[in-house]
Formats: sequence, structure tokens, C-alpha cells
Amino acid sequence: MRVVIPDETKVRFRYPARAVGIAGAVAMIVSILLPWSYGSDALDDMTFYGAPSPLQLFFVILPVLALLLLAVPLVGKQRLGRWAKALAWNTSAKTASLAALGVVVVALAAIAIELGGLINVEPGGWVALVGAVLAVAATLFLPDSPEPTLDRLKSPRWLQITVIAVLMAVLLFTAAYALSLDDAGDFLVFAAFAVGIVLVLRQVGAFAWLGLAAANNNRVLVLSAFVVAFAFPFTQNGSDANMSIASQVLIFAATALGLNIVVGLVGLLDLGYIAFLGAGAFTAAVLSESAFATIDFHPPFIVTVLIAGTVASLLGLLIGAPTLRVSGDYLAIVTLAFGEIFRITMNNLDGSDGPNLTNGSSGIPGIPDLNLFGFDFGDPHVILGVDIGRFANYYWLMLVVIAMIIVVFMNLNYSRIGRGWVAIREDELAAEAMGVNTFALKLLAFAGGAFLAGVAGAVKAHHDVSVTPEQYVFLESAFLLAAVVLGGMGTVTGVLIGATILKLLPEKLRFFSDYRLLLFGLLMVFMMRFRPEGIIADERRQLEFHAEDEELATDVEEDLITHHAHFNPERKGFEL
Amino acid sequence: MELFFQQLINGLSLGSLYALIAVGYTVVYGIVQLINFAHGEIFMIGAFGAYATWMVLGQPTDWSAPLSILVLLPVMIIGGIIASVTVALLTERLAYRPLRNAPRLAPLISAIGVSVFLQEFVRLFYGRIPGFPDAKSAIPFPVVHGISGEIIQLGGVTIQMSAVFTVGALVVCTVFLWFFVNRTKTGRAMVATSQDPDTARLMGINVDRVIMAAFAVGAGLAAIAGVAHGLSYGNIGFRMGFLAGLKAFTAAVLGGIGNINGAVVGGLVLGVTEAMATTFIPGQFGSSAWKDVWAFVLLILVLVFRPQGLLGAKVVDRA
Amino acid sequence: MSQVASAGHHVDTGTVLLEASHVTMRFGGLTAVNDVSLVVHPGEIFGLIGPNGAGKTTFFNCLTGLYKPTSGEVRFAGELLPPQPRLVVRAGMARTFQNIRLFHNMTALENVMVGMYTRTKTNAIDAVFRLPRHRREEVESTERARELLAFVGLTASADMLSRNLPYGDQRRLEIARALATEPKLLLLDEPTAGMNPQETRQAEDLIFRIRDLGLAVLVIEHDMRFIFNLCDRVCCLVRGEVLVQGSGDVVQNDPRVIEAYIGSPAEELPSTKPATPEPGTEDGEGPADA
Repeated sequence: MRVVIPDETKVRFRYPARAVGIAGAVAMIVSILLPWSYGSDALDDMTFYGAPSPLQLFFVILPVLALLLLAVPLVGKQRLGRWAKALAWNTSAKTASLAALGVVVVALAAIAIELGGLINVEPGGWVALVGAVLAVAATLFLPDSPEPTLDRLKSPRWLQITVIAVLMAVLLFTAAYALSLDDAGDFLVFAAFAVGIVLVLRQVGAFAWLGLAAANNNRVLVLSAFVVAFAFPFTQNGSDANMSIASQVLIFAATALGLNIVVGLVGLLDLGYIAFLGAGAFTAAVLSESAFATIDFHPPFIVTVLIAGTVASLLGLLIGAPTLRVSGDYLAIVTLAFGEIFRITMNNLDGSDGPNLTNGSSGIPGIPDLNLFGFDFGDPHVILGVDIGRFANYYWLMLVVIAMIIVVFMNLNYSRIGRGWVAIREDELAAEAMGVNTFALKLLAFAGGAFLAGVAGAVKAHHDVSVTPEQYVFLESAFLLAAVVLGGMGTVTGVLIGATILKLLPEKLRFFSDYRLLLFGLLMVFMMRFRPEGIIADERRQLEFHAEDEELATDVEEDLITHHAHFNPERKGFEL
Repeated sequence: MELFFQQLINGLSLGSLYALIAVGYTVVYGIVQLINFAHGEIFMIGAFGAYATWMVLGQPTDWSAPLSILVLLPVMIIGGIIASVTVALLTERLAYRPLRNAPRLAPLISAIGVSVFLQEFVRLFYGRIPGFPDAKSAIPFPVVHGISGEIIQLGGVTIQMSAVFTVGALVVCTVFLWFFVNRTKTGRAMVATSQDPDTARLMGINVDRVIMAAFAVGAGLAAIAGVAHGLSYGNIGFRMGFLAGLKAFTAAVLGGIGNINGAVVGGLVLGVTEAMATTFIPGQFGSSAWKDVWAFVLLILVLVFRPQGLLGAKVVDRA
Repeated sequence: MSQVASAGHHVDTGTVLLEASHVTMRFGGLTAVNDVSLVVHPGEIFGLIGPNGAGKTTFFNCLTGLYKPTSGEVRFAGELLPPQPRLVVRAGMARTFQNIRLFHNMTALENVMVGMYTRTKTNAIDAVFRLPRHRREEVESTERARELLAFVGLTASADMLSRNLPYGDQRRLEIARALATEPKLLLLDEPTAGMNPQETRQAEDLIFRIRDLGLAVLVIEHDMRFIFNLCDRVCCLVRGEVLVQGSGDVVQNDPRVIEAYIGSPAEELPSTKPATPEPGTEDGEGPADA
């Protein structure tokens, strides 16, 4: 939101504005002690005096932040010392107020929709709304703060590691809590709150600091992220519903990461990627112990996975070899056609239009659970007193697969091969003229990406129990691409976030599932228009998408020279 | 031999449909080097626009054959063209033009987004217009007396009137295109821009307007193809643009992308190949279930052996 | 750098490094290069001059595999050169571009490391599992890239994005990147275009130092003074054909050369390059695309 208020006005009103802002924040804080809603069916029962609901308690964090950001500077710049400059006090307060307003609006809208009309909003809700509007209006009159310099402050290593650990724990809690919200209104209010917190933290400058801390403690970060992801099933008390969603998210994320190698690192648009997932799934299905499997050869899963990956990558070679010589544009449409060929072929290999391999459109049902080294993935068991069900088993397996894909992704990216890919993206002709074997490198990415999709597909076949051609259609490829674009091409974290958002939202917001593709189509157009680098930007990608932005180039370079942590080939990647 | 001629006729009719759509890909590619993935959807919008026009006319079902052919059909076609041209221009303005200087990947992804959006938009909202049928499944296309279901017997060969319409439409459109490109100022500006956009700009050509003209011409022909599709198959659906678009793109590549004559030739060759493949490939793989696969195999073969297409054109190689 | 030590300027006229014989390049009806033959010896600096549109860059593109000559052949160290840029690089020939083509969003160091692609062997397996070869080569490549940056005088700019480098530094970075391919022959396409006199003198010095490493250099230039200071032998192309070829003095005093350039006496030879690049001969945009 850009409201331009002249600087003189801002200076003249700075004290009254601050006072009004503080009053607004206080009003919001008080409001949670009042009921917001007339009926207890709306959201999580906001009908009590003096007993805030969980969502109200989350909400209050935002006005408290706003209050602190507005009130603390009153103690004087001298006493704040170096913190006075490190944080962007005024702008952060504005962001916090805006975020609080957003949450209030979503909450009131949810109450009105769920109970039928704004008449059901109780005084507390109105107090919160008025407080939020006051706070936003007041903070607009505060002078803008300079850019935060939190990342310039020296911080001890233990602090960095502690913050990372705490952050991961918060992440785990957030994920578990968000999944436990079955009501669409609850979910949206919580999502608005979460987005608000992220925006405030970014405005404060915490992200820049975190980025530095993460770069310095890369291994701690990765390790703790996996510990947290591993611990997730223990928060679910054996609920299979959520674990099913979680394991689907992971399968989707693994596939999106594979696609990200092709699209994000090399810049090739693969629109038939889902077909490679399908090729892996069908391979695993026909080699499985299912009564409907058509091939009388049932190797152990370890072998099946390799065959599935190989089949997918051979298909990749078959499609890639002729097209990659010509141009990236053709690749997009040929892969689109390939996706269609795959679907049609799987439909036709039913015994009447062709040899029977896939049972045609009915596909292969009844695929038994995985059995790895005698461990049956269908068996529930109890660990540390928590029921661990079938989906949790697959969830953990997918975590391993994702870890594998991330290692492949990062280690290739930060190597001679990754440099070749960047060179191809930047100027293919110059790369060729410098001796880079562009064709081989593109083919490697394309077939390698297909291999990873094949592996994910093999697990998916067992996870889904049945495999049919209609699960692997073009729209699913578009959906995958949307995850990569939304999250951030060429980044791991971004694509994980993008995949989670895109898979989780339709599950949690049922009313919206019919509009899912419509919105994702729009999303792709808007992302390309306004933020082509995605939620989490790969710095080099960002530079490519904003070729004329000199300021950005200087910023990135400054980062590079001071932190020496971004493009440094010696430090990134995982040692095995 | 009779079977051969029958399939030739079927192939030419199918090929004319592909050619009408392929022109849109080729014209736009020739000028902005963009594969407009959403073009198949523009074709679909044309068909739905024609249907909407028929609804607005009060769903006339009992008009006589001459009246249907001379009044109803042209009005429906115009309605379809208005719909598809409007959508195509909006797409160009909102989704492609802002990305003209972005890396190549950006407009491609944007085009995919537009394609998905348009399909879903029609699926979700067409039926919401009062009185309109739900578009979540196929809608029967209006009957145009004198064309729908009418046939001509020529020896042992059966010719659908809808096929005559499709081929006739292609002939008329090709003549129109020739005239447009060679005899009008905008058409010549288009040729100039496709050869050298920078110089064209220096010569005072309004490149934005030329690009819009390219999108409009392509969309107009696609709308005619949409009507032809409705007449030939008897129904239309929100998904019809996907496969037709892919095939038409194949036709454009086959003829040499960027080359307007090539698109026409490529469309016809592809249509005939498809028709012949279902008849003359022996065994299970000759069944009609495989015809789409053969079309795409042809696409890949062309890319391997003759990437510049049958008639030759700028090779897509902007490394 | 081991090669730096090997000093001394001597042209080995007994052996032939590059031999282009009867190279002709036609685009449709247009003959851009017509029957050009020339020989470059190891350790030699060879100049290619000619007015705008003489076909110098087209000839360059024929040598480096960007174009396949319509007729004629190019031999490098006795072997027929394959018409593929990356194989030409592998054979030992590297080039720079008239309109600088660096990888803009990579750092200077990374740009140079891309140049080492053909001389390194790390494959996907090495990289994924971080096998010893990967580690060794990464360390060696980084070190060598820093040496090369130091050699062209860009030590301080290693971590700068190449798009942020000043123009003259970009030209030097392109040379470092080409040197990273370990060439025996370096082809420079107008290395001083757009430079001021001081930068031009630095470039001259750099080319001499490259020659002193034992490399042969083939250089296209407009700047006459630069060419005649630098080159052992010079070839003048006019309208795609060799007008005259020989030592600097011979070419410099040939009245046809003067006439071809400006049609006036030698005193008024242009000492700086005309501002506009040659139309139609920019890299990769030959008349073939028209």
C-alpha cells in the first residue's frame, strides 16, 4: 500500500500519530478480552469475556509487536544504542498494524459468512477493527525509517544456532497447528496471521539477519530442518487424515524439486514432467505384487525403484535428444505433446488397442504396501507412545527421497556442471563458444530430472494403492510448474514452500477446490508479471528477470563481497 | 481405392481445421517469437462465442436451410470472431506485452497460465450466464440446417457438408490472408516487423499495433475453426482447445513456423497423415485410438530431420 | 603460473599452427568471404584488418565453428577443424567477441571457471557424491582462475558480477575467460573497441604478455596504430577477399590498403576505430538470418 504523505506533515504530526497508533494497538490488545462473535460455531469460539480463544491469542501478537515498535523508541535514541539504527521501527510498526488489520478483516468476514451477516460480530470484533484502522492510519503519518541493518550487527554463533533451532520448532508447531484446523475460516485467519508475522519479521530486518545466520550455519540449518520434518508425525497422535495430506505434499514437493532442476537450473520448460512421474508409477505398478500387475517379474522395491527411474530417464532421452538440439521453445511444446502421448498410450495398452500392459483406463489397482528389507509400510506401530500409521511410514520414506533430491540438486548446482547450466541460461551461444557442451548438459538435466520423477513415481504407486492414466494429465504438470514458479525457480526452500502451499490450500479450503486451477492459472500470469523470481528468490535468477535493475545488481554484489556466501563455489553443497 | 479417397477427404477436412488454427501460431511466432500456448483456448472461445451468439438470437432451430446458411451461420461466425479476438487482444495486452523484454521463459509460463485460466473460466462460469447450459461437460452445437448432418455422395465417397464448409473456409481465409499480407499496409508492416523489428520501428511502424494485428488475425481464423469444429463434431467443450491447439502447433512446425503458407500446407499434410494412419497402419496400432500419437511422432520426426519445416522458414534457433 | 616463466618472443615459422585454405562463405547470393587463405605460426601475432563489412568477423566465425564454410578448409596443428564451436575450443582455439558476451550475472571468477569447462572432467556422479576428483578440480580451477584474473589485472574484481565491471575490465575478463580454455591460438575480435588511448596501450601490453606465454594471437582491429605496433604480420581483407598480406611494413605502405580505407594519403590513416560496429557481421547474426 502506498499512501504518499508529505514529509513536513509527517514531521509535524509525529507525536500525535505515535500516540494514536499506541492507542489503536492497545485497543486491539484489549479487544481479545471481549467477545468477537455472537455464536460459538464461527471460528474457534470467540464468545467469552476475558477468555481469549487460541486464534485471538495468536492475533494479539501482532498488536503487541506494533505497540512495542511504537512505544520503545519513546525511551530515547541514546538508550537504545545500536538497536536504534538496526531496526526499521516505524515502517515495521506500519507493517504490523497492516497485518493486524488484515487478520481482523479476515476474521470478521469469516464470522459474518459462517453465521450469516455482520450482525453476528460482537463489540470485541469492532473494537479490534477500529483499533487496527487507527493504528494503520496513525503509522502512515510516521516518518519512514531507514533500511534495517540488523544483519550488520555482530551476533555470537550460539545465538544464531539457538534462533535457528527455535525457528524450526516454531515451524513444526505452526505446521501441526495449521493442519489441525479443519474449518476453512480458522485456517484462513491463521494463514493471515502467519503471513503477517512473516511480513513484519522481514520489515524488521530479521530475514536479512537470518539469511546470514543460515549461510554461516548451513549444516545446522539443514540438519534441524530434517529433524523437525522427521518429528512431524509425532505431533499427529496417529491421525491418518493429516499424515495422508502430509505424505502427498512430500510426493508433490519431491516431484516439483525434480522439475526445478530442469526449469530452475537450466531454464528449460518441461510441460510433460508429470508423465515421467507416471512412467515411474506405472513401472512400479506392473512390477508390483498386485493381482492386476501384467508382468510376471516382481523384484524387490530397491530394484524396482532403479528400473522405474531408468525407464523414466530413457523416455526423457527419447524426447530430449531430438528436441534439445533445436531450441528451448520447441522443448516446451514437445514435452506437452509427450505428456499427451503418455496418457493416450497408457490408456491404449489395454489388450484391445494394443498389448495389455496397463489395463487401459481402469489402471492397476490393489498395489500392496511397500516392503523394504522386511519392513511392511502398511503396518502401524507405536513409537514413544505415539501411534505411527501407514502414511507416516510413507512420509518418512519420502523425506529420504527428498533429501536425496536436494543433495543431487545442490551438489550439481554448485559444481562445474551447475556453472555450465548457468552459462547456458545466460548466453547459450557464448557458452558453446567457450567449450561448454551445451547439448550434453541440457540432456543430462532433462534425463536426470526424469530419473528423479521416476523414483518419486515408484513410491507414489504404492502410496496411492492404484495407478490410472487420468492421474497423470497435463493439468498436473501445470500444477507442478505453478509450485516451482510460486516458490522460486532455482531454490530448494522456495519450491518446498510453493509445493506445500499449492497442495495444502485445496485440502484445507474445500470450498475453493473447484477454483483451484483457475486461480493457479492466474497465479502463473501474475507471478511472471510482478515477481517472476518467486516467493524465495534465487539471487542470480532475480538478476536475470530484472536485467535493467542496476540497484539490485549492486545490492547482490555487496552481499557477495561482504558475506562471501552466495555464489562461492567452494562452500555450498553437501559433503557426503 | 475408394477408401483412399474417402480418407483423403476426411484428412483434408481435418487438416483444414488444423490449418486455420495453425495460422495463429505461425503469425504470432513470426513476429514476437512466442509460442502462444493459449491459442488453442482462443479457438475454444471462438466456438463458445458462436454458441452464445446463437443463444442471443433466441436459439433458432427451425430456420430454413438458405436462411441458416446465409444469415445464421455468418452471424454466429462474427459472434465467435468478436469473442476470440477480444480475448486474444486482452491476453496480449495483459499477459504478454509486459514481458516482452523478460527472459524467454517468462512469457512461456505466462502463456501456460493463460491457457489454464481460460479453460477453467469457461468451465466454471459459462453456465452461470442465465439460460446458458453448464459447460462442465460437452455442449451440443447448434444445428445449422443445410450443413449439420447433410452429406453429398460422390461415387462411393461420402462428403459431409460440414467438411465442405471447413475446406471452403480455409480457401476463403487463405485468399484473405494473401490479400491482407501482400496488399494492405498493416499486412506489409507485419512482414517487415517479422524480418527485423528494430528496423521496422525505425521506419515508423507501430510495432505494438502490428503485434495486436497478428494476434487478432490468428484469433479470427481460430474462431472460424471453432465454428467448423462445432459443425463437424456436433458438440463443443472447454477442453477442445488443448488437443486441437497441440495438433495445430504440430502443423505449424511441419510447415515451417513463421511461414503462413507453411501453416496451411502443414495443416493439410498433418490431417491427411492422421486419416491415412488410422486406415493404413495394420494391426492394433492402426486403431483410431493411436492417431494422436502418430501426429506427435510426426512432430518429433520433423524436428529431428527438418527443423525448418516442409516449406522452410526461420529456424527456431535463438541461442 | 607455470607458463609465465617461459619468456622471449620467437616466431616458429617452420611450423604451422593455423592454416585456412581457400575459405569461402556465402549467404544465399552474398559472398561474405571469398577464397581467403592464411597461415598463423606458433608464437605469432597476426592482424586482420579491413574496412566495415569486409567479412572479418564472418571469417572469424568460420574459423571458430560458428559457421561452416561453404567451401575451403581450416586446419589447426595439422588436423582438420570440426565445425562445432566447442570442439574448436577443445582443439586449442579460443575467442572473444566484438560485442562482449560475458555471462552477465556470474562473477568474474565464475566466468573464468566456465572457460575451464573443456579442461576439467568432473562428471555428474563426482559432483553429486562430492568425490575426490570434484574437490581437487574445484580447488585447482579456483586457484587457476584467480591466477588468470591476476594475469589480466582483475585480482580485485574476482567476486564482482561481470555486468557491474567497467567496460575495459569486461574486455579483459573476456580474454581471461578465453585463456582459461588453455588455447594455443587466441582470437580477439576488436579487443580495443570503445577503449580510450590509455586502455588501448594496456591492451597492447596484455597481448604482448599473452604472446610471451607462447600463444599465437589472431586479432581483428580497426585501429591501425594498434595493429602495426602489435603484429608480426597483417592481412587486409576488402569485400571478403585478401587484398594484401605480409609484414606490418608491407601492408602499411601498400597504397591499395590506404585507398581501401579512406582513399587518401597515409598521414590521415584513422587512428581510432569508427564508432559504429560493422552491420551484418555481428556474431551469430549473419545475413543467413535475414
